[in-house]
Amino acid sequence: MRFTEHPILDFERVRGREVTIYFEGKPIKAYEGETIATALHAAGIRIFQHSTKKHRPRGLFCAIGKCSSCLMKVNGIPNVRTCITLVEEGMQIERQDEKPVLPKTSKPPKWKEPPRIEADVVVIGGGPAGMMAAINASDAGAKVVLLDENPMLGGQLVKQTHKFFGKREQFAGVRGIKIAEILSEELKKRDIEVFLETSAIMLLQDGDEKLVVGVRKNKELVEFKGKTVVVATGAMERMIPFENNDLPGVYGAGAIQTLMNTYGVKPGDRVLIVGAGNVGLILAYQLYQAGVKVEAIVEAMPKIGGYFVHAAKVRRLGIPILTRHTILRAEGKEKVERAVVAQLDENWNVVPGSEKVFEVDVIALAVGLRPSIELLHQIGCQIKYVPELGGHVVIRDSRMETTIKGIFVAGDSAEIEEATTAMLEGKIAGISAALAAGVASPGWLKEVEKTQRELEEFRSGPFGRKVLEGLKKVVVE
Amino acid sequence: MKGDIVIIGGGITGIALAHELARRGEDVVVLEKRFIGSGSTFRCGTGIRQQFGDEANVQVMKRSVELWKKYSEEYGFPFKQTGYLFLLYSEEEISQFKENISIQNRFGVPTKLITPEEAKEIVPLLDVSEVMAASWNPTDGKADPFHATTAFALHAQEMGARIYEYTEVKDLIIEKGEIKGVKTNKGTIKTGIVVNATNAWAKLINAMAKVPIRIPIEPYKHQAIITQPIKRDTINPMVISFKYEDSYLTQTDHGGIIGGVGYEVGPTYDLSPSYTFLREVTTYLSKIVPAIRELLILRTWAGFYAKTPDSNPAIGRINEIDEYYIAAGFSGHGFMMAPAVAEMLSDLITKGKSKLPIEWYDPYRFERGELRQKALQMG
Ligand SMILES: Cc1cc2nc3c(=O)[nH]c(=O)nc-3n(C[C@H](O)[C@H](O)[C@H](O)COP(=O)(O)OP(=O)(O)OC[C@H]3O[C@@H](n4cnc5c(N)ncnc54)[C@H](O)[C@@H]3O)c2cc1C
Ligand SMILES: Cc1cc2nc3c(=O)[nH]c(=O)nc-3n(C[C@H](O)[C@H](O)[C@H](O)COP(=O)(O)OP(=O)(O)OC[C@H]3O[C@@H](n4cnc5c(N)ncnc54)[C@H](O)[C@@H]3O)c2cc1C
Ligand code: FES
Repeated sequence: MRFTEHPILDFERVRGREVTIYFEGKPIKAYEGETIATALHAAGIRIFQHSTKKHRPRGLFCAIGKCSSCLMKVNGIPNVRTCITLVEEGMQIERQDEKPVLPKTSKPPKWKEPPRIEADVVVIGGGPAGMMAAINASDAGAKVVLLDENPMLGGQLVKQTHKFFGKREQFAGVRGIKIAEILSEELKKRDIEVFLETSAIMLLQDGDEKLVVGVRKNKELVEFKGKTVVVATGAMERMIPFENNDLPGVYGAGAIQTLMNTYGVKPGDRVLIVGAGNVGLILAYQLYQAGVKVEAIVEAMPKIGGYFVHAAKVRRLGIPILTRHTILRAEGKEKVERAVVAQLDENWNVVPGSEKVFEVDVIALAVGLRPSIELLHQIGCQIKYVPELGGHVVIRDSRMETTIKGIFVAGDSAEIEEATTAMLEGKIAGISAALAAGVASPGWLKEVEKTQRELEEFRSGPFGRKVLEGLKKVVVE
Repeated sequence: MKGDIVIIGGGITGIALAHELARRGEDVVVLEKRFIGSGSTFRCGTGIRQQFGDEANVQVMKRSVELWKKYSEEYGFPFKQTGYLFLLYSEEEISQFKENISIQNRFGVPTKLITPEEAKEIVPLLDVSEVMAASWNPTDGKADPFHATTAFALHAQEMGARIYEYTEVKDLIIEKGEIKGVKTNKGTIKTGIVVNATNAWAKLINAMAKVPIRIPIEPYKHQAIITQPIKRDTINPMVISFKYEDSYLTQTDHGGIIGGVGYEVGPTYDLSPSYTFLREVTTYLSKIVPAIRELLILRTWAGFYAKTPDSNPAIGRINEIDEYYIAAGFSGHGFMMAPAVAEMLSDLITKGKSKLPIEWYDPYRFERGELRQKALQMG
């Protein structure tokens, strides 16, 4: 089902021309600008594939192209990530129920030299960190190119309908979606080339410079050559183990936000949220706003992890937050029909007889993120496991340069934190990358130092403590 | 600590040798600087063939295939005789392969020349528009390097062999031409017999032993890819095209397409993946099987071909150092040979001779200028 009304968002304005796509031969209405997964979801289709060994049903999970749970056959081509592929008139979409069969009619590809885009600074990722890096590198005098694998700029921001915390200069009080718009407007004002629907698949040293190998729209090779690179690829949602956690209807919190806030599609009717950090709390509020019932939030820790104001708001809406509770299993034939939760004792064991059953069709996992460091890992940046920062992260210096000269990192891919710090880090990385490329005047160092002080100040509050502990382990000079 | 026989290197060669020696009741120790298989073995293309162009390799590989069959059945690891299919594009190639086939047939290897249409029956997705014929032996095959190496290791250990991982050999203790022991990062092991089974690293161990003859073995970086899994039995045999830069591809047990091309870099100990390789491999593999263009590559990695001037390994005893043996320099086909190499070398160590033509691999041939006919190398 699609929303027609929403207190904050106007979907009628963003939806493109109506098109028809075909699911297993049956016509389905869709709008240009929507992903295949979104259109299927709006038509009530939850099962996208069956696992090849045990034939378990699978559906959407991350909605940002990072988990492979949504692979389908599109126009005869297997393994298409339907969550980041846009609909096109007449598309034939089929479920994948076994290991794919290759089409017999494929012709040998005609190879042409891939386009090679040259720049001083190549930015990978167009979330707040990447956009700020691009804007500031450009202001510092660099020729900048930015690529992002999603069809739109903004990263996680495009789904945040709530007003942000933070400092005034970093858009406190402004809604996330609005920040994304402001930043992309700023990008447009500058001479920054942007490639959307373009995945960076490889990061290489090429003489003294760097080569980023990109694939556009799943089929076209594009090469990006830069003197320096900023990696701002964000994060990936964590999964937790429980029975039937792969049933369609178990979603990452981000996926629900994407469906609901980016595309205006109702994720389900009744939701159980796992995790009472900020993401879980905000999600509960957003669901309520969109008219979806949240049955409860369960949190394994004895305390709510998120900000007090968010928790208070959720409580006022009458949504119970059950601390010291966990999810035991999802139940349902082909998709989620129920969730069974239980209380935990001090030793994290289930309290016998404490099981509660919630009749829900969606289970939202808001159990944390881990940095997307794949490209940094592949090129050989030094990596360390730091739980305070979200898992495996790269060693870097105070200017966000990794152990490989000319490769910078910023935002959630550096450590799990928030949009404000992502933007500040993006600024530091962007200017430093322009400096390292030899195109910015030394005066820009002052701007880096100023931003470093702002970042320090921002982190000096109680919520920065954990990150600061973690940073001690990875920031080197 | 001590061991009667110390094998340096825990790849398929060292592990299969330890297995064979333990089976014969010998006291054997394997020293591996990382984990077993971490050298080239776990990075290989999985192929096992008898299609060579000289008598020695055909005989040795025929025996090797018998042993692969025997042990895979006994130990339950995947070894499949799904054949090797060489695609031929010119009269010249065809006449060369006809000669090879006659040698192979003489030793009972049932290779034959088939038409492009017959090749397409075996792999329907092939593009045979330029193919003139194919050399096909259905008894060649492939094995899973992870399961195979682990199975040989576990059974070797059951029979008393000791395998020490993360144990790097730093030096050899040799007095008056006699081996006394091996120094490692974890201490010294007393022994009188050492086998150098370090393939790409063999020259370093030979230097520690001060081997007085020239055994040219150099490491060259070769890379491979694996794609997303597809339906089983799509590409059963190993398919090879020398026309398209020595490229090869086949399907693993898990369903992914594994493949590579001839592009190499070296001599080097660098293992970083390269874009040039990726471009070549995608170009050439899609010329052989165009539909592969619809698949995503999951991973790419690099390993070493330990190359000798005639692409044949050096296997045998070094006379100047009492009881120092070498089995290295496999030039990109050491996985397939390992069971037969283990048998030959065990014969040499325990009986002083072997029924298999071990002389072909004589480590002294380089010093004497008696290079062999170049062994058929792919990838
Ligand atoms: C529910 C929720 C509520 C939040 N609330 C707040 C809040 O109130 N205040 C606050 O400050 N923060 C908040 N945040 C956190 C904030 O959204 C993130 O910290 C921030 O978006 C991180 O920015 P980023 O640019 O590092 O990554 P992202 O925003 O994740 O952007 C990464 C981008 O990189 C792209 N990408 C990834 N890999 C590739 C590749 N290989 N090739 C090309 N492109 C790639 C992705 O498509 C994506 O667009 C919230 C987050 C969530 C989920
Ligand atoms: C891309 C690729 C594809 C290939 N495809 C095929 C194929 O299809 N079929 C085939 O038959 N072959 C193939 N090969 C070749 C095959 O991988 C090798 O010939 C084979 O694995 C050699 O085995 P090995 O045990 O001799 O050497 P390795 O597996 O390299 O083992 C040697 C071991 O010695 C250890 N070592 C080194 N120095 C020391 C030291 N000082 N102390 C202790 N230990 C040490 C190393 O860590 C290593 O584990 C391929 C190779 C590559 C790279
Ligand atoms: S990759 Fe599409 S849902 Fe995760």
